[in-house]
Order: sequence, then C-alpha cells, then structure tokens
Amino acid sequence: MTNGAHIRDEELQLLAIGAMPESEAAALLAHASGCGECTRRLAEERGLAAMLAFAAPRETPPEAVKTALMARIRTEKEAEAAANRAPRTPAAAQSEGRPRGGWWQWLLVPVTAGLIVATGLLWREDQQLSERLDESNHRIASMQVEQQKAAALIDTLSAPETVSVKLAGTPETEKALAVVRYNPRRGVVLYTAELPPLPADKTYQMWLVPSNGAPISAGVFTPQAEEGRHLWQAEVPKDVAVKAFAVTIEPAGGVAQPTGPKVLIGAA
Amino acid sequence: MRPESATTELVSDWSLLERIVRKDETALSQLYDRYSGLVYSEAKRILRDAGAAEEILQDLFYQVWRTAEKFDAARGSLAGWLLVAARNRAISKLRRKTGKTEELVENGVRVSGDLESQASQNLLLDKVKAVMGSLPSGQREAVEFAYFEGMSHSEIAEKTGQPLGTVKTRIRTAMETLKQVLS
Repeated sequence: MTNGAHIRDEELQLLAIGAMPESEAAALLAHASGCGECTRRLAEERGLAAMLAFAAPRETPPEAVKTALMARIRTEKEAEAAANRAPRTPAAAQSEGRPRGGWWQWLLVPVTAGLIVATGLLWREDQQLSERLDESNHRIASMQVEQQKAAALIDTLSAPETVSVKLAGTPETEKALAVVRYNPRRGVVLYTAELPPLPADKTYQMWLVPSNGAPISAGVFTPQAEEGRHLWQAEVPKDVAVKAFAVTIEPAGGVAQPTGPKVLIGAA
Repeated sequence: MRPESATTELVSDWSLLERIVRKDETALSQLYDRYSGLVYSEAKRILRDAGAAEEILQDLFYQVWRTAEKFDAARGSLAGWLLVAARNRAISKLRRKTGKTEELVENGVRVSGDLESQASQNLLLDKVKAVMGSLPSGQREAVEFAYFEGMSHSEIAEKTGQPLGTVKTRIRTAMETLKQVLS
C-alpha cells in the first residue's frame, strides 16, 4: 500500500477521483486519518479531482431552489426564535425565591435525581421533536419547490407566445418522436421524447437551430422508459428566431456543437 | 476560521462563512449565488436528473447553514469541499447507496486556484474543457467513468475491456496533465 510510511501518489490519485474500490479505499483512509502528510496530499489530490466538475456542461439551477432554501432557513430561524421566547414555568420561578437550609434539604437529593432523569428524558424528547421539525421543514421546502415549478410550467405552457413543434424521426429512427414547446420571450424550452435507450457513454442532446448562427444546446437527456414519459426543461437565450429543433446522439455529458447523428428534427 | 483578507474587493468565502455562523441570510445567499451553478451542473451531469440535482443543491447549502461553525480553513477550500460533497452525494444517489452526510470538518479539500470570482471560474472552465478535449479518448473516458459515473478502476477495466494496469495509468496520466495545466 505504501512507499515507506506513506500512501503512493498513484493510490492517492485513484482515491481522490473515486476510482478506488471501497475495501481498498477504507484501508488507505484509515492510514491517512493518522498521517498528517498523507492527509495533506490527499486534500491536494481531492482539490485537483474536484476541478473535473468544470468539465460538466454549465447549467443554471432554477430560481425556485434558492427561494425554497431561503424559506427553509427562515422558517427554522423563526422556530428557534419562538422557542427562545417561551416563558419559564411558574415552578421554576418559585424555586429561585425559596429559602435555603433545614433538615428537608435531604429530601432534595431524590427530588434532584428525579429532576435530572426527567430533564434527560425531556432533552431526548426535545431532540426527537427537533429532528422531526427539521424533516417537516425539509418536506415543506421540497413541496414549495415542486409547487413553484409546477406553477411556472403551467404558466409557460399556457403563454400565448409558446410554440409547439413535433419532431419526427429520420429514416434510421422512424418510430422516434418528440414534442417541443418553446417560449422565446422567457427563453425556456420544454420537451418530451420517445427514443430508444443509449449506452452509458452516449446521450441525447436537444438543439435549437436559429435562423442565423450556430445551433444552441437545450440540454442533454436520457429517456427512462420504466418511469413513463418525462418532461425536460432547459433555459436558452431569449428572443432567438428559431427555424428548427433537432436531437442528436452525443458523448455523455453533451457537446458545445452537434457532432453526432441526427435522430429527430422538426421545423418551427 | 481564517481572518478575512482586507485587500480583495470581492467578499471572501471565509468572510461569508463567518457571517453564516452568525446566521446572516444574505451571506448564505451570496455564497449560493457564487457556487450554485457549479454544484448544480456537477450533480446534474452525474445524475442526468434535474430534480435530483436540485435536491442535492438545496441540501448541501442547508448543511452549510446548519454547520458552518465546524468548517476549518486549515483543512482546505470551502468551494472544493462543496464540489467534492456534491459529487459524493450524487454518486451515492446514482448507485442507490446510503452514505452518511459529510461533516464540514471531515474531508479536507485543497484547491490551488481561486474560485471565488466568476472570472476565475470562467478561466478554470476554459482550462479544464481544453484539457479534457485534448486528452486521448481512452484517458478522457477513464476519468469520466471514475468521476462522473463513480466507477472503480476494476469496473472501468471490465467495461472498456482494458487491462487494470492500463486503466490506472490512463487515469494517472490524465490527472497529471490536468495538474500541469492548472498549476
């Protein structure tokens, strides 16, 4: 495993990129956790591997995700503030004014022990309630995202400027089809397609073909027959005069300009 | 946490993180604007599912909000951690595995370049795309299978029909090329 006392560079690289089988990775991580030198080198290799994220096609997340995140933390802050404002119990207030001393002090021992146990139980209950509150907040936030997305979708589909185009297969893929809805004012493309599955290293990519200039990617997509028909959505430049839509087969992750065979095409 | 640099006009990640520890929502909003595109793009490339990528994006920044005080600058870069954590979560989801949530302190990630400004992110984007485009197809394929599909070297060897040693060499050579270009 190691060269002298440390993990070899080759192993660190494979570990950082995630290509090390779990059993081998566990042994290397165990070593690294007790070795400052290997921890530092692993952090550097992880940093380098993380740069591969830049090889992914750049996408913009829907605004609704941020809206839901901020709503989620605001709800949590308000709940915490409300908990902090909760009044103390009369019993607690009374005990603070009680005189000290006397034989009855001994009674405090079992009472205190009982209170400690009760406090522990209450604390545990409080933890469980907090966890349930977190879960509920998460569910509410997710539902808010879905609701906002659904509303935006309906709004886009029903907008008067949204055009609908049917894409037909080429002679090689004559059974394939897709329907595209394009809203030029909002720069949004929605589409659904029925296409055969592809190998893992290939993907379908949707293109807007403008009247002037190079095709514009509307994202990559993978049909999943077992989940039924799926609707894909992509943000594209606004107010583009589109003359056609097309789907090509490209390497996994997509490409900047079409390179693969055309499987669907339709004039706008 | 590291003290804020007074020389940069851009608010540093560390400064934003310190404000997040004090529960400043605008700081989280700024951090989200800075890295959400990268995190989302990475998760979506792995999962090829916008909804699942959105879920990872939201959960990751929620974790930053909840546990910002645990992050230690000595262990590396916040941006690097976000990218690694997003990748790990997406791969776990892709492979239907359940993994525990990464603590901010657990995984040190040291990024040599600056990722805080849009300009620096664009520059890195160009460099990484150029490197990936210039790699021989076998090297590019091996790196993509490992990073974006979560395949081990032996799984890649089986899938591509190449000897295990060849797969390891391809990954190593590709990563060395990336290191040279980015250094």
